[in-house]
Amino acid sequence: MADARPRTFFSGASLVWRRQRVLWLMYIVNFVLAYFATRGTNERIAAILDHSFAADQLVHGFNLGAFGSLAMNPESPFGGSTSASLSAAILFTIFMIFATGGILATYYSGLQLHAGAFFEACGHHFWRFVRLTIYLLVVLIPIFILSGITYRIYGRIDKQSISPLPAVHFFEAAAVVILLLLICIRLWFDMAQVIAVAEDERRMHKALRRAAGLLRHNFGSLFWLYFRVSLIAWIVFAVGVHIWMEHLRPESILAPFLLSQFLIIFWQGCRLWQRASECIWYREHQRAIAVATQAYEPTPVTPTPAFSQ
Amino acid sequence: MGFRIVLALALASVALPAGYGQSNATRHAAAVPVPVKPPDAAKQQTLSTRVVAYQIDARLDTTKHTIAATETLRHRNLTGQPQKTFPFHLYLNAFQPQSTFMTEHRRDDPDYEWKPEHFGAITITHFEVTGIGDLTNQMQFTHPDDNNAADRTVMQIELPTAVPAGADVEFKIAFNDQLPQVVARTGYLRDFFMVGQWFPKVGVWWKNAWNCHQFHNTTEFFADFGTFDVKITLPQNEIVGAGGDLVASTNNSDGTKTLTFHSEDVHDFSWGASPSFTDVEDSWTGSAGTVKLHVLMSPGNMSSAPRYVQVLKGTLALYDQWIGPYPYDRLTVIDPPHGGYQAGGMEYPTLITADTSWSMPKGALLPELVAQHEFGHQYWYGMVATNEFEEAWLDEGINSYMETKGMDALYGKSASIFNFRFLQLSEDDEQRLTYLMTPNTDPITRFAWLFYDDGAYGGITYGKTATLLLTLEKIIGEETLRQALHTYFMRYRFTHPTGEDFIKTVEEVSGKDLRWYFDQAISGTQMLDYRILDAHSDLVNWYEPEKTALKNSDVLYRTYVTVQRKDDFIFPVDVKITFDDKQSITEHWDGRDRWTRYVYDRKAQVVSAEVDPGHQVWLDRDFFNNSYVVKADSRATEKLSNIWGFASQWIAQLLAWLA
Repeated sequence: MADARPRTFFSGASLVWRRQRVLWLMYIVNFVLAYFATRGTNERIAAILDHSFAADQLVHGFNLGAFGSLAMNPESPFGGSTSASLSAAILFTIFMIFATGGILATYYSGLQLHAGAFFEACGHHFWRFVRLTIYLLVVLIPIFILSGITYRIYGRIDKQSISPLPAVHFFEAAAVVILLLLICIRLWFDMAQVIAVAEDERRMHKALRRAAGLLRHNFGSLFWLYFRVSLIAWIVFAVGVHIWMEHLRPESILAPFLLSQFLIIFWQGCRLWQRASECIWYREHQRAIAVATQAYEPTPVTPTPAFSQ
Repeated sequence: MGFRIVLALALASVALPAGYGQSNATRHAAAVPVPVKPPDAAKQQTLSTRVVAYQIDARLDTTKHTIAATETLRHRNLTGQPQKTFPFHLYLNAFQPQSTFMTEHRRDDPDYEWKPEHFGAITITHFEVTGIGDLTNQMQFTHPDDNNAADRTVMQIELPTAVPAGADVEFKIAFNDQLPQVVARTGYLRDFFMVGQWFPKVGVWWKNAWNCHQFHNTTEFFADFGTFDVKITLPQNEIVGAGGDLVASTNNSDGTKTLTFHSEDVHDFSWGASPSFTDVEDSWTGSAGTVKLHVLMSPGNMSSAPRYVQVLKGTLALYDQWIGPYPYDRLTVIDPPHGGYQAGGMEYPTLITADTSWSMPKGALLPELVAQHEFGHQYWYGMVATNEFEEAWLDEGINSYMETKGMDALYGKSASIFNFRFLQLSEDDEQRLTYLMTPNTDPITRFAWLFYDDGAYGGITYGKTATLLLTLEKIIGEETLRQALHTYFMRYRFTHPTGEDFIKTVEEVSGKDLRWYFDQAISGTQMLDYRILDAHSDLVNWYEPEKTALKNSDVLYRTYVTVQRKDDFIFPVDVKITFDDKQSITEHWDGRDRWTRYVYDRKAQVVSAEVDPGHQVWLDRDFFNNSYVVKADSRATEKLSNIWGFASQWIAQLLAWLA
């Protein structure tokens, strides 16, 4: 069996780097959606702030009083902002469901797909991945229930314990467990997506079953592969936000913008890193099986339509 | 428990109840409805006119959360007329589903769910008047505010014969308390007890009538000054903080102990207990002597103890310097346990409850804020004992204003609540934001329970009063206002002044007629909003563009600056106009008209125009339109846009995890 040796881990990062167009496409869509989601708010803010001395309190530091006053301004500059941002987030999620077929086809083949092939793969797998997302939402229901139970237990410990700390420690431990469970579930569904692309599997329940089997036999290595990337993503994100809040000059504009965009790109890159690593792992896993099978009964490997060009 | 021993030794020579209440002979003589001549008040040399003397003997059952107690109350009739009727507050009865308190609470918070453990009650089992006899059957619940027959927070007793003016009457009451799980300042939580408003308390004769309102969702308290001698019996492992000096502590054979507390020239007595408290002791010496500080910290919160001590010592010094002496020898702080915030942030004479959490960052000065606010009530409520039911702004509002001064003085003006590199909030701004949330639903003078809702009560009583006093500094000056507060305190301490007393004092000290301001800010609901409607320069000889082009340095511009009063609050303002030759002009506008326009012919163009350039008109609802800078500066917009855009991108990334 193939395992997540360091080679897979670094090969995944290398593959994301070599196929940068995928990353930039995701980033640009994310950026453009956010831009349009916030444009109305920005224009309303500009009308209030750009010709006012009082705006200075938001330049040299971040005066919560000034911000609160802005939020409560009769012109309601933030009216509808949240719904616009949430709408953009939903659109981006739909886009990611659409793009995943092309992303995985690119990473699994290791080739630089031209736009036509990329989007053909996207369209080819779109409805399959919609179904898979619905399955994912169903699978997440027990997690939501578990979270609810955890919260109730937390509340009970908090209510009964004289010190607040036992409840806090329980909450921290429970949060770690739930996060790990979420990683496992994502890993499972990601593997199902890879199988769907690599094998051109149309039946998502079958892809999920196969992914579950693979996970069962290679859980440690695959989980470690995912967990490491997640850890790196969170650490870099936390460090970046810390630098933003504590070390950048409050009045600087460009540096925070560049840092924030770096964090978004890095976060997106880490997610693609997981996908690329998983594709490489699966490819090697298939090769290992093929080699073993050839040794027993030689059979030619037929490429799937999505990456046959 | 160490502090109680020290206090007991220090106070060993102090007679138990000072004044008339301690004399058995006098007490026995009060038999018939009253004809007991009280001792000469001049000889008492007390801080207050003592109207009441309470002696309470209470036993706490920590398992059932009940208190069984007897109370002897001697009340001196200083009403100037014979009195037959006496109303009593029974606050704990508010914690019942049909009470006025709960009805109003549910009205303002429809999601509030009643639970059996929220039930609280005070039941009088025996009511006797010395010299008259048992009047238990004569007790009647009254509902002076809303005719809610189910409300039992006010009880009235009618004596068969009147108490003559100047005489005393003695009530002997037996009562049982059922404490609720901590709610609205009182109750139990696990092993913690906060026992406030727990005994039958007589109303106040005020403005020629009894003043004894029902307990409402937004109201606090009002009572007469006097003495308290309170015995509390409870398990020996309990650590107790109380609003009185510990004068005796006795261990009983049944595993309990009895603590005896004495307090004088106060109008209430409360206490808290928990075996889990850690007692942090300190002291502070001011112009009236040394004050012992006892901070009773709950588990997990110890990191906040030095913060409480620091802010209290600093605030004691500021009040001593600015307002007047703190005359008591003690101040106890109870830090409620986690989940017990309903018991936090409350004031009682010489005892306050604070609020913090185990994870409170250093840059968030919320524990300091709460402790300072509650300490301020020792002055504004504790000593200047205004009617919190009817004029809550006099204690909460003035106290909130003093909080802005105190927090700014101790922690810096621009970041006295949140002091992080990435985020700042000053107490002044916080009060103004509180005001802006519900700025004009009610006048400040409205009775507390008649506000639109509890949010409006809070925003206007606390935030608007503080903000209008900050704005008043512009009219009379900060130092004059401070002097006025000092005069108001020294003149009215240990009395029940009114809003009119406060206003008159400010006018007297400032030497100004301020009715025009107080009528709008206190009695009215007008909003204040001035803005620069227009600021631009144009060529004087705009019809001769060729000449203008030739002699650029001598070009004469006509500058127009228009200032608008957007809302109804009329307030004189300064307007500062700055030109590109770096010259400025400051105009003064009485603000009476809806707008005014200034026109200048100068060889310079306008750069900016600003209303209230000194940033003193805190009541102005919109600071952003107070100025107009001709050349746009988009840095603030770009900064906010970046934050908002990043947040949007990040939310999208998180949601896309589902893909």
